[in-house]
Amino acid sequence: MKEVILDCFGEACPVPLVKAQNKMKEMAVGDVLIVQIDHSCAMKNLPDWARGEGHNVEVEETSEGEWEVIIEKTK
Amino acid sequence: MSQLQEFFKKITGHPVYVKWLKDAWPYITGAVLLSLFQIVTLATTGNPWGVSGAFANWGAWILEALGGSVDKWYYFASEGAQATLNAGFLNNPDSWRNVGIIVGALLAVLLASQFKIKKIKSFRQVIAAVLGGLLMGYGARIGFGCNIGALFSGIASLSLSGWVFAIFLFIGAIIGSKLLVKFFM
Repeated sequence: MKEVILDCFGEACPVPLVKAQNKMKEMAVGDVLIVQIDHSCAMKNLPDWARGEGHNVEVEETSEGEWEVIIEKTK
Repeated sequence: MSQLQEFFKKITGHPVYVKWLKDAWPYITGAVLLSLFQIVTLATTGNPWGVSGAFANWGAWILEALGGSVDKWYYFASEGAQATLNAGFLNNPDSWRNVGIIVGALLAVLLASQFKIKKIKSFRQVIAAVLGGLLMGYGARIGFGCNIGALFSGIASLSLSGWVFAIFLFIGAIIGSKLLVKFFM
């Protein structure tokens, strides 16, 4: 079980989403991807996409205007 | 913990604060509010909502303040455009509304305590932002409207042009997305 951190600070939508999608393809089932974002719309489209794919998703506000979207690959 | 800190902790944990100020509103709420304010805008100012047209006027006022003149420019040649320019910033509803959007957005982000000055990651981002801004601004003026004035207000006014704008907006967005993936991934 691996944990991968994807630094998407300063990236506007839809860059964080596409980067996360590409990263997830390289990962194995059970791995966890942590996407660091500071663009609030990624807080919506990233979890929406990941939940739609059936992955486990959690969003955490780590600082003012900064979030971590934590995605566990389930399949 | 001081009383003030306790007070803020109590407020920021309150469900009303979380629902109305912290979390993003659902898209449907935004859609209903935009429609209502479109009607209010038309009723009070006599024109549907527009954004980018006011920025052209800001440009003209800045140029005039620096001693230039746009009297001979085709874009500002009409009587209506001249009247708007002569009336000035304070009598221009579109300009006031644009200022309101900027101040309102700042207020919303401050109330949600999500304010952050974002870092510029690469020089490529600067180029893309400047190029994108120029293309959008130029296109909005050549097309006599942006996605608000031409698309939203166009369709709301039952104008066919709004739908034509929508089709080409989608084509442009698809091309733009491909370029984005090619140059930013």
